[in-house]
Amino acid sequence: MIEIFKVIFSNFKFLALSVIIFSSMMVLLLLVSEFIFLEPYFVTHIPSGSELGFILIIILSALSALVIPMNLFRITNLKNSKQKMSGSIFGSIVGSAAGACSCGPIGFAVISTFGSVGATATAFLTNYEIPIRVVAIAILAITYFTTIKSLKTECKVHF
Amino acid sequence: MNKKGGILGILVISIIIVIVASMSSSNNETFDVDMTRTHGSISTALGSPILGDPLAPITIVEFGDYQCHQCYNWFHNTKPMIMRDYIETGKANLVFVDFAFLGKDSPKAAQATYCADDQNMYWEYHNSLYNSQESKIDSGWANSERLKAFAFNLNLDMELFNECLDSEKYSKRVQYNSQQARDNGVRGTPGFFIVGSDYDQQQIGGAQPFSVFQRILDSMI
Repeated sequence: MIEIFKVIFSNFKFLALSVIIFSSMMVLLLLVSEFIFLEPYFVTHIPSGSELGFILIIILSALSALVIPMNLFRITNLKNSKQKMSGSIFGSIVGSAAGACSCGPIGFAVISTFGSVGATATAFLTNYEIPIRVVAIAILAITYFTTIKSLKTECKVHF
Repeated sequence: MNKKGGILGILVISIIIVIVASMSSSNNETFDVDMTRTHGSISTALGSPILGDPLAPITIVEFGDYQCHQCYNWFHNTKPMIMRDYIETGKANLVFVDFAFLGKDSPKAAQATYCADDQNMYWEYHNSLYNSQESKIDSGWANSERLKAFAFNLNLDMELFNECLDSEKYSKRVQYNSQQARDNGVRGTPGFFIVGSDYDQQQIGGAQPFSVFQRILDSMI
């Protein structure tokens, strides 16, 4: 497994992509979930009772940062199928959407734009924020392990 | 002539009935509030009673929804320190203005607070809602039956409270408050305006920590 990491992340492009995905996704989700505020001052804040949500965001960002570059490596270097790539993108999007709709500006915009349909969607994504994030993490974890397994076989064949 | 007189009589009686009916319906919307009350750019006339010293130099206007979990976070994590350091010391006061947009139970919960206010129990009821909030929106924790149960637990006159809640007496008041939020550019809850004595105001979006409020409040004192 370490050999696979070395092969993929020794390439600067994949390493940079991983860092960009992790940092941008983490900052975006922390902003949306109100763990970071930019106005009127930059401030970070983890309210008591919100620790689990914070940890899930970090895990989600880290898994996305691992799985997406690994699958891109498979597609670009090994010319393999894009099936697992869609799994990783799907997991990342589902996990991100879970916390996005709440009582904050995104939830307000969705409800203002789509009326009762938006309110129902917002309520669902808010009510099941933690379970949805756990499912997204599970999707990414499964994608991660199947990707590692595939890469072990494919790398033996190609290199 | 008699026929004309009869028609005229019916007409007069009809007009009287319409006037009496309109007067009785408008009585439902009459509030015992100071309609001129404003804080900065916000009309807080139909918001909550003022919490703290009405003559305090700073007013914190909070826009909130009783089903919003971030409002719950602010209520439990930040508000106690603001109460201790600014409201109980007379440096600031607080007005809550409803921005009930999250679910179907949100406007009803906001209306219930004003029904409690009819019996001078606004803040007790407000606190009761935020202490009882459940994490799921429209899960039933703030439906009419539960709202009545909260009132019962506070020993309110249930006949008066039920009549007020069932008749939606304060429906337009809550709508007015939510419109105030939109008019003042609030795009989520909780949203705050810190209004100083010289009418300068600072907006804060979200359930921000005490340190942010402290910095702004101290700069205005």
